Amino acid sequence: MYLAEADKEIGAVAQDKAAAKPRPSDRWQDFPYSILSHHGRACCEVAREWVLAMDFAQLNGADRLSGPRWLRQKYEWGPSPWPMHWCEAVTRKTIDCGAHAALAHAAFGARGLTAYPTQLVQVYSEDATEQWRGKWARDDVSCHWLDGAHIYHEATALLVGDDEVKIWDASAGSWIPPRQAGGYGSLAAIRIFAPESSGGGDGLRWGERRLKPNLWNQI
Amino acid sequence: MKIYISGLYCGGNPQPGVGIARSLREGYPEATLIGVEYSNRVSGIHWQGLDDLWIQRPWNELDLESYAGKVRRVLDEGGLWISGSDLEAMWLASLFPGGHAGLLAPPPDALKRIAKPAVPAHAGLPVRIPTYVATDLPDWDLHAFCRANDWRVWLKGPYYDAARTPTWDSFVAARNALTKVWSTERLFLQAHVSGYEESVMLCAYRGELLGCVSMRKRDITPEGKTWAGDVSPVDPAFEAPLRRIVRELNWTGGGELEMVRDPGGQLWLLEVNPRFPAWVHGATIGGYNLPALLVQGASGARAVKAEARAAEFTRVVLEVPVRDDYPLPPLPEPFAGAVGHSMKHPSGLTSLAQRLHKSNPELLEIVGEPAGPAAGGKPAVPDTFIADIAAYDLETVQTPRFLYLESTASGLFKRAAERSRRLGTDEVQVVSGYSIKTNPDERLIRLALENGFYAECISLLEAQKALQIGFRPDQVILNGPAKWWPEGLMPKERLHAVFCDSVADLDRCVAMAAGDLASRHVGIRLRTPNVVSRFGIPLDSPQTFSKLVEAVGRLPDEAAFGVHFHMASSNIGVAQWWHLFESMLKWCRSIERLTGRTIEILDMGGGWFPDDWHAEDESRFSRAVETVKALLPAVRQIVSEPGKAMAQPSMALAMRILEIQEHEEDHVEAVVDGSIAELPMYAFQPHRILRQCGETGALQPLGRGKTHLMGRLCMEHDIVASNVALPEGTRAGDVLIFCDAGGYDRSMSYVFGRG
Repeated sequence: MYLAEADKEIGAVAQDKAAAKPRPSDRWQDFPYSILSHHGRACCEVAREWVLAMDFAQLNGADRLSGPRWLRQKYEWGPSPWPMHWCEAVTRKTIDCGAHAALAHAAFGARGLTAYPTQLVQVYSEDATEQWRGKWARDDVSCHWLDGAHIYHEATALLVGDDEVKIWDASAGSWIPPRQAGGYGSLAAIRIFAPESSGGGDGLRWGERRLKPNLWNQI
Repeated sequence: MKIYISGLYCGGNPQPGVGIARSLREGYPEATLIGVEYSNRVSGIHWQGLDDLWIQRPWNELDLESYAGKVRRVLDEGGLWISGSDLEAMWLASLFPGGHAGLLAPPPDALKRIAKPAVPAHAGLPVRIPTYVATDLPDWDLHAFCRANDWRVWLKGPYYDAARTPTWDSFVAARNALTKVWSTERLFLQAHVSGYEESVMLCAYRGELLGCVSMRKRDITPEGKTWAGDVSPVDPAFEAPLRRIVRELNWTGGGELEMVRDPGGQLWLLEVNPRFPAWVHGATIGGYNLPALLVQGASGARAVKAEARAAEFTRVVLEVPVRDDYPLPPLPEPFAGAVGHSMKHPSGLTSLAQRLHKSNPELLEIVGEPAGPAAGGKPAVPDTFIADIAAYDLETVQTPRFLYLESTASGLFKRAAERSRRLGTDEVQVVSGYSIKTNPDERLIRLALENGFYAECISLLEAQKALQIGFRPDQVILNGPAKWWPEGLMPKERLHAVFCDSVADLDRCVAMAAGDLASRHVGIRLRTPNVVSRFGIPLDSPQTFSKLVEAVGRLPDEAAFGVHFHMASSNIGVAQWWHLFESMLKWCRSIERLTGRTIEILDMGGGWFPDDWHAEDESRFSRAVETVKALLPAVRQIVSEPGKAMAQPSMALAMRILEIQEHEEDHVEAVVDGSIAELPMYAFQPHRILRQCGETGALQPLGRGKTHLMGRLCMEHDIVASNVALPEGTRAGDVLIFCDAGGYDRSMSYVFGRG
C-alpha cells in the first residue's frame, strides 16, 4: 500500500474518533493570541525599530520569504511573564512562543509580506509537560499552556501565494511541515487569525489541507 | 536469480550498495545477492544480507580488460548488475555501449546528457540550474564570478567532492587539492542556492519509468548528506516531464535528481546521479522499493509487494560482525609527524577517473558552458594598460618597480566624476570621495582634486597631505577610529564632514565642537550588523542602539547630521553590498525617527573591485539615488567612495625573472626579483600578468599553467603567483608586469629583504 492511501484511512478513522471525544484545542477555545504592548514612549519605539531594521539586515540579501531564524538565535525559548512590552521583550534573554511569534509577525509585516497570528496545539508527553511545568513555576509564570500531554503554542502563518500559507515556528526556528503523522511533537490543532474570505471562503491552503480561518482546525 | 550490487562503502558519505541489498532482500527473499567491491577496507562487504562477495583489486591495480571479460560472462550467464558507483557506471556504459539485458545502468549517451553542472537533459522539468563557470577560465574571471555570487560558491569536482570557497585563498587551495585528486583542471564553480534539499529517486528499464519517489532531507551529516528524511509521491507536474526524459534517454537503472528548494519554492537542480542514492532503503521503508521494481522490470519475476511502514526514515549506527574470510586490514601508518590516517577512496576510484579520462576525454567536457573567455584562456587586459606600460622602457627599468599608468588613471577619475554629475539631481548632489589610504600617491590625489572628488582621510596626516596638494579644508572628510592622530595637525578652518566611529568618539567630537573643531557636517559611522566589522558604532543589540540614539541627541545642532557606512564589496560580493546599502538606509530612517535629527549627508563605500564599480549598470546607481531620496528626503549630498576601484588599476608592478627551474611533469618554478612585500594582496585577489617578449617587445598576457612565480624573499609563503603559464621562450632577465597593483598592493607594500 502506498502511503497516500494509508494516510487516507488513518485520517478517516481519526475524524470519526474526533467527533466522539473532546478535542485537544477545547481548553484554548477562547484563548487570544499574544500581542506585545507598547508604552507609547521612546523605550518601546527604539525596541520596535531595532527589531525591524535588524531583521532586514539579517536577511543578507536572501529571499524575503526566508524565516527570521536570527530571532531564535538571539532569544532563547523559555518562560516570560505577560503582559510584555516591546522594550521588555527585546532586552530579555528568554522569551516564550507568544513573544517569538509576535516578533516574527512584525518582522514579516515590515518586509512587506502578509502574515497571520497562528495558534497551535501540539502533542508531547506527560514527562515533557511536567518538566516545563516545573520550569515555568520556578520563574513564577503561568502554565496555562500545558494540558496533560498537550501544549498550546504560537506561530506565524506566512502567505506565500494567493491562498497558500507556510507556518513559521519562531521559537523552533523552522517551518512546520504540513504533513503530520502524529506522535511526539506533532500538531493536533491549528487556528490562523486571517480574513474570513481567505481562499475565496475555502480557507487557506497549507500543503494538501485547507484551513478555515479563525477556527481551530483539528489535524 | 543472481544480482550483483556494487558501491558498498558505508562511511559518513555512504554509497547505496547496502541499501540496495536490503531492499532487494525484501522484494526477492530467495535471490542471491552478491556484493561487488574493489577494496576489502569497505565496511559494507560485511553486511550479512549479502549472500556472497566478489572482491576485486582496487581500480588502480585492476586489469580492466580481463575484468571486463569477467563482468560480461556473469551478465551473459543471466546475472543482473546494479551499480552503486558513478564511475563504475560510466565504465560499464563504455563497456556495453548498446546495453546488456542484465546491466541495470544507463547507456553512454544518457550519461552525457546528465553531465553536471549543465545537465542538458533537464529541459522540461520545473527546475533551474544554479549559475556556474568552468575553472579553466582565467583567474581574473573566476574572481569576478565569486564576487558576483557574494562568495557563496562551491568548487566542485568532475564526479564527487565539493568545497565551499568563501575567499580567494580558500578557492586557490581547494582548486589545487581537487585538481590533484582528480587529475584534471576541469572543475567548476557553482553558485550556492540557499534552501532545503530534496531529491527524486527513480528507476527505469529501457526508457520506461518504473517508479519514482520524492525525499526531503530532515537531518543531515556535517557533509550535508542525508541522515533522515521523509518520502512522498512525486508531484505529477514533475513526474510527467521526468517520464518523457527517461524515455528520451532510454534510461535503464536507478537514478537520483538532487535539488534544493529555495524559500520562494523554486527547485534548483544540482546534479543527476546515474545510480540509486544511499537513502534508497529509506524509500523502501516508505513503501517505495525501487530496486525491486527495477529487477521486476528487467527480469519479469514478480517482487514481493512493498509495504509502507513509515513515511519517515532515519539512520542509526550499527556494529556488525566482520566476515571470517575478509578480516580487517591493518590501519596504514600515519605519515611521519602527520596527524591521522589518510584512507580516502580505498577502492582507487580516483585512479579509475584518471583511466576513464584517458580513454574518453570527452567525459570531462563541461557541457553547456556559458560563453566567455576561451578555456585555459588569457585574461583580457585593457588597451590603456598596454599603452601605458608600453610607454616605459622596460629594458632599463630597475625592478621591482611600480609603474604609474597615467592615461588609465586619468580616464578612471574622469569617468567617475562624469558619472557622479549624471547621477546628481537638483535636490541631491552626488560626489565622489577619494580614499587616500588606498594609494596616497600625489598623482592620484591630484587627479581626485581635479575631478571634483572630496578627500576621505583616516588621519590628520592624510588630511594635511590632501591640503598640501590643494584640497580646501571644506573638501576634507575625516573618519575612522584614529582620525585625530597625530595631535596638533587639526586644520583650523571648517572641514566638510567628520564621522564618529564610536559613542566615545562622538562625545569627544561634541567636546571638540565647543573648541577648535569646525565641520559643516558631524555624523556617525554605523557598524554593519550582519557582516563582521570593527568599525563604526555597533547596532547589534537594542541596548547599544538605544545608546546610539541618545548620543546622536548630544550632537551640536550647528552642524548638519550625517551617516557613514563602509564595507568592502569585493569581500562580501556585489549583491550583498547592495542589500547592505538598503539595510543601512532603513537603519538611517529609524535613527531619524527616533532622534528627530534629519540626515543631510550620506557617505557610503567602498572597497569596490574596479570591474564591479566601473562596469556596474548606471541604472543601479540611479535607483540607489532614488531610494535615498524616497527614504531619507532630507539628504542633500551623497558621497560615494569607490575605494580601490580608483587606485587598483592605476599602477602595475614590474619585476624580472631571475631564474627558471624546471621540475618533473612540466612543473616550473621561476624566481623573480619582486615579492609579496610589493604585492601584499596576492592572497586576496588575482593579478593579470604580462610578459614582455624578449624578441618583439610585445606584451603577452599569461594564461594558466604549471608555473609558480617564487618571490625573492627567503620566506616560505613568498609565492607571488601560482599556476601560470610562461610563454614559450621566456628566460631569465625577462620582465613580468603584474597589473592591478595600484591599490593596497602599493599602499601596503613594505621594505623587506633589501638589506
